[in-house]
Amino acid sequence: MAMDEAKKTDLLHKLAQGVTEFDDDAVREAAEEWVATGEDTYDAIFDGLVAGMEEVGRLFSAQEYFVPEMLMAADSLYIGLDIMKPHMIQRDTGVKGTVVIGTVQGDVHDIGKNIVKMMFDVAGFNVFDLGRDVPLEEFLKKQLETNSDIVCLSAMMTTTMMGMPKVIAMIKEKNPNCKILIGGAPITDDVAVKFGADGTARDASNALEEAVKMIVALKNIQKEAMAKAGK
Amino acid sequence: MSDQEREYTVIFQPSGRRGKIRGGGSVLEAARSLGVEIEAICGEKKTCGKCKVQVMEGFFEKFGVESSLAHLSDWTKDEERLLSAAERDNHIRLSCLSKVKGDLLLFVPEEARGGQQVVRKKAGKLKYPADPDLRIYYIEMQAPTLHDPEDDFLRVKKALQETHNAVANRIDLFCLRQMGDTLRAAKWKVTVWLWKDEIVRVVPGKVERHYGIAVDIGTTTVAAYLTDMENGRSVATDSKMNPQVRFGEDVMSRITYAMQNPGKGLQQMHEAIIGALNEIIGNLCDEQKLVRDDILEMTLVCNTAMHHILLKLNPEHVGVAPFPTAMAPAVDIKARDLGININASGNIHVLANEAGFVGADNCGVLIAEEPYNSEEDVLIIDIGTNGELLCGSKKLGVVSCSVATGPALEGAQIKFGMRAAPGAIEKVEIDQETLEPRFKVIGKADWHTHIEDVDAKGICGSGIIDVVAEMFRTGIVDKGGRFVKEAPTKRLRRDEATGQTEYVLAYEPETSIGKDIVITQGDVRAIQLAVGSIYAGAVIMMRHLGIQKLDKVVLAGAFGSHLNPFSCAIIGMFPDVPIAQIISVGNAAGDGARLCLVNKHKRAEANEMARTVKYLELTVFADFERVFMKAMQFPHMEDPFPNWKHVIDEIPNWKKIAKEKKPAGTPAAT
Repeated sequence: MAMDEAKKTDLLHKLAQGVTEFDDDAVREAAEEWVATGEDTYDAIFDGLVAGMEEVGRLFSAQEYFVPEMLMAADSLYIGLDIMKPHMIQRDTGVKGTVVIGTVQGDVHDIGKNIVKMMFDVAGFNVFDLGRDVPLEEFLKKQLETNSDIVCLSAMMTTTMMGMPKVIAMIKEKNPNCKILIGGAPITDDVAVKFGADGTARDASNALEEAVKMIVALKNIQKEAMAKAGK
Repeated sequence: MSDQEREYTVIFQPSGRRGKIRGGGSVLEAARSLGVEIEAICGEKKTCGKCKVQVMEGFFEKFGVESSLAHLSDWTKDEERLLSAAERDNHIRLSCLSKVKGDLLLFVPEEARGGQQVVRKKAGKLKYPADPDLRIYYIEMQAPTLHDPEDDFLRVKKALQETHNAVANRIDLFCLRQMGDTLRAAKWKVTVWLWKDEIVRVVPGKVERHYGIAVDIGTTTVAAYLTDMENGRSVATDSKMNPQVRFGEDVMSRITYAMQNPGKGLQQMHEAIIGALNEIIGNLCDEQKLVRDDILEMTLVCNTAMHHILLKLNPEHVGVAPFPTAMAPAVDIKARDLGININASGNIHVLANEAGFVGADNCGVLIAEEPYNSEEDVLIIDIGTNGELLCGSKKLGVVSCSVATGPALEGAQIKFGMRAAPGAIEKVEIDQETLEPRFKVIGKADWHTHIEDVDAKGICGSGIIDVVAEMFRTGIVDKGGRFVKEAPTKRLRRDEATGQTEYVLAYEPETSIGKDIVITQGDVRAIQLAVGSIYAGAVIMMRHLGIQKLDKVVLAGAFGSHLNPFSCAIIGMFPDVPIAQIISVGNAAGDGARLCLVNKHKRAEANEMARTVKYLELTVFADFERVFMKAMQFPHMEDPFPNWKHVIDEIPNWKKIAKEKKPAGTPAAT
């Protein structure tokens, strides 16, 4: 049974707003309603849930929202995602999306890392989360094993941050095309450049923002790829 | 591009003020524009030589700047005249004469700093009588004869035993080297210093009083107490900035500095702290007309990183998980081995570390407050650059944890934040009707509304907690920490440059910095993180012990003692507790050091109890993230506060009030 456009718009709005206002029930209802129609959930996830998360990111940048609001919104998003993901028709978007992510050895802080991971999850990436206090060689091992496009390293302390250039050097030597993103409280743009990383988010909070931006960019790439595939 | 057109990053330590500075201007101008006070008595006439800055060399990860002497204009003849060769070697320049040519990390030495920090580490009375390991005894002996040719040591030992029933089994070599001459010159009438069973000093004649020094080495401030060993009274105190600040403001950046500069970094920081201790010892002795040799014992408390650097142990491992210390139990070291200028035979006692992030300073708090003897369920919060918490009771045992409060509570990373120095706003109240603030500035006798020249320069930690708590109490910020734009006050405004809302605490005429002092949304966020982390630590500890409700909260630390308990409660620094049960105890870590100095039983107890405290690593709790998140809201996302309901219920909801006032259909004012 196909959904009419008006209902579709309404549900997308409900999903987005549910995430923005961390209204778990609203998200759950809208998601279940969408699934009940039998329609592919791809649009519901990206134009509903993720669109809502983008708005959360905007509010965060504007300092309207803070970490608690961000995490609550993430909870709502996951509720919708859990319901709808099994009903999403996998697409070959042409975007290779494998990410290896973890908090470097000696560091056990992973709030920021988990949020970035969630963003990749949501964006449809294949994510390998190595967890925290990850031995440096493990990143290389996993990268080689999965041939991931991206490796994300997180550190919350200046002491453990020093493990990052070692990982970057190891990976770049074996696989110069692999993109490496680093993040965490002590990381600055200058540090990222010095360490030879391809990109950074300044701190846990910024990681959220960066991840949201990353998703927007990814969605554009996906759209382009799909448009191309459609031709 | 010439230097004049380019902008460079210039950072001043220890204040941490940073900004972009146009090339070609002097360092002194840069300092002024960033609100850093450097003493320039001669008014840039190149005569006083006071306005010194030290140029830090190298790449500083934390700040992302490459700083170098070459980033300043050339050494001048005037500097040659006004500065010593040693200072030149030490990268000291005069800020009025050196011009900015690149990125710089500059350290302003204590003597060049304008507006000295108010030392808030005062010493109170100790709970226990003096009963030290170090005692003095006056003895008289017969000179040796051919019939009684016994050795000097045995002669002294016997006299101690016979006269005072004191047992001496050992003698320090450095003391022994001088003893023979002393005994003879004094005609065998001497006073002997006995440390446990070791003779450590012998001086001619009868000495009545003797002194030791207890020191609290904080990440930012070092405080020392010259203490009468016979009655435990603190007779003089001194403190100074921890000179390691120039290598990094916090513990982690100092550990990183040691890692990044193998061998050299640790050596430099070690020398810096030893130098500071020696200076303090000198000041204390001079004040009491003592000589350094008169001091035979020192106790030290500090966090684990300071502990390792003090002993010149590699601090790298305490900086990364699982944060093992090189040695947890207390250590006794000869002063000469550390280069500490008390008597060479003197003893340095460093209290035990509890865990990687809970150091000897917390051990000091532990024995000063004795939660292990408490009938009540107590939470002890020691706030410094890091927060260390103790929780428990006699019945439940004691757990500890460490929380990263960040530097916000010390005034760093706050837009107009500063240390507790003259000019700092230290207390704030906001009127619930008018939303007008009144505040008290350090160094001024009364609230700003009652004095002529207010001269506020910034706001220190206690002031920031106050203003955020007051903004929440009066509805200017909501539970989530967001400014409520509907709040009817002209003090809430939008910063044109950033687009962010801010609250004007002091208008320009009330300040001495030529601009308004404002509290930004970012400032409120920094405080949310800091107090949220403390609350979250408390929640995890209470859960571990099965405590539903706290009976008492103790605020320790020089900073904690200056906090307004009301503000701390309203803002949600800790779970619900009545105001009468929130107690400030001053520098408990310092008290612990003093107790261990003058009471040997407390010293033994410290070493023993430090082992029994269970350390909880917060981040390993799977739900820590959630607990922390909920704690960030004011006072908490969902926990009830029956003791504070009367205050919280009175918080005006300006958003709702604004809506009700406006009849439906009226367009919003633009």
